[in-house]
Amino acid sequence: MITTTLVLFPIAIVAGVMGAILGLGGGIIIVPALTLLFGVPMRTAVAASTVSIIATSTGAAVAYLNDKLTNIRVAMWLEMGTASGATTGALVAGYLNQRFLFILFGALLGYSGYNMLKSRGKDRARMVVPDRVSRRLLLAGSYHDQALGRQVDYQVNHSVPGLIIMYFSGIAAGLLGIGAGIFKVPAMDQVMGMPFKASTATSNFMIGVTAASGAVVYFARGDVQPLVAGPVVLGVLVGALIGARLMVRLKGTTVRRLFIPLILYTAVMMIYRGVVHR
Amino acid sequence: MSQDIQDIHGTMKVLAVERILARVLRLGSIAAGVMLAIGIGTMLLAGSPFAVRLITAGLIILLLTPVLRVMVATLVFLRKRDWLFALFCLVVLCALAAGVKLGMVG
Repeated sequence: MITTTLVLFPIAIVAGVMGAILGLGGGIIIVPALTLLFGVPMRTAVAASTVSIIATSTGAAVAYLNDKLTNIRVAMWLEMGTASGATTGALVAGYLNQRFLFILFGALLGYSGYNMLKSRGKDRARMVVPDRVSRRLLLAGSYHDQALGRQVDYQVNHSVPGLIIMYFSGIAAGLLGIGAGIFKVPAMDQVMGMPFKASTATSNFMIGVTAASGAVVYFARGDVQPLVAGPVVLGVLVGALIGARLMVRLKGTTVRRLFIPLILYTAVMMIYRGVVHR
Repeated sequence: MSQDIQDIHGTMKVLAVERILARVLRLGSIAAGVMLAIGIGTMLLAGSPFAVRLITAGLIILLLTPVLRVMVATLVFLRKRDWLFALFCLVVLCALAAGVKLGMVG
């Protein structure tokens, strides 16, 4: 038990650091680590991972809110999509062909990973013309970029398509148990025209809420094992605090470079899972 | 010109909300982190059932923090008479409640 905790703890810290920097839940690391390395049952692993999504989100959000990296208005607008999408996902689970969905969402991720790869290195101030909804809801943001040493002002567009994408990313999260942040970051970065750091910080802020209803359910069912989830969640919390402090000092182009291999890996894994049905 | 004033006004509103929400999240993560650390510490040293209860309490506090965050945001937007965003928060809360309800049944 002691050795398990001691080995689990550093892995969880790494997951927390990565999750905080990239705006993800870190389930990509935690679920395989628990099931493959420690032989934890899948349900227990997914439950622990869901609670640790909240740890990443909560731990990192404080630093991002203080640096104004999180765009709260965009987050509240888009959370409507993710939360109702997750509920829809739970509702239609069992009626849809999971294999097909894995391939479909994997292909979508691969496409947005390819787009990111094409535009890597570019952190140009994009000319984003705000749409009507964005102007009405005052979605434009401004943050102090520590890496660039200056204030970054930005506009947001495609607010409604962004909301619709969040709805489907919520469905993917509720249905397939993945995609806490991996769909949200490209939607804000590529579709809504937000700076990359603002996208990951805002994604980070939102994933805690999306995960909350799932986590309550896992808790009620008794899938959350305190002795497994406890060390993982504490490690992720510590990692998220470290990661958030690192991320505010990183350049947007660097964060994007770190994100690209992960999104491509996830795309391949999802398509693989769809083709080779377990 | 009037657009500029509106933008400045909007930015100021956002800053205040950020500070309040940051406080809620900091409180939640510190409380949860301390309970988890003490719980895991006593579990490794003594292995008492009390430790497990402490860890569970820490996990529950962490779990409720995002929900509390949306509730606090609702109140802040209501107080600022930002009816639209208060409504958005309520929609999120309803979706969360529905998600829990569906999950319990399924």
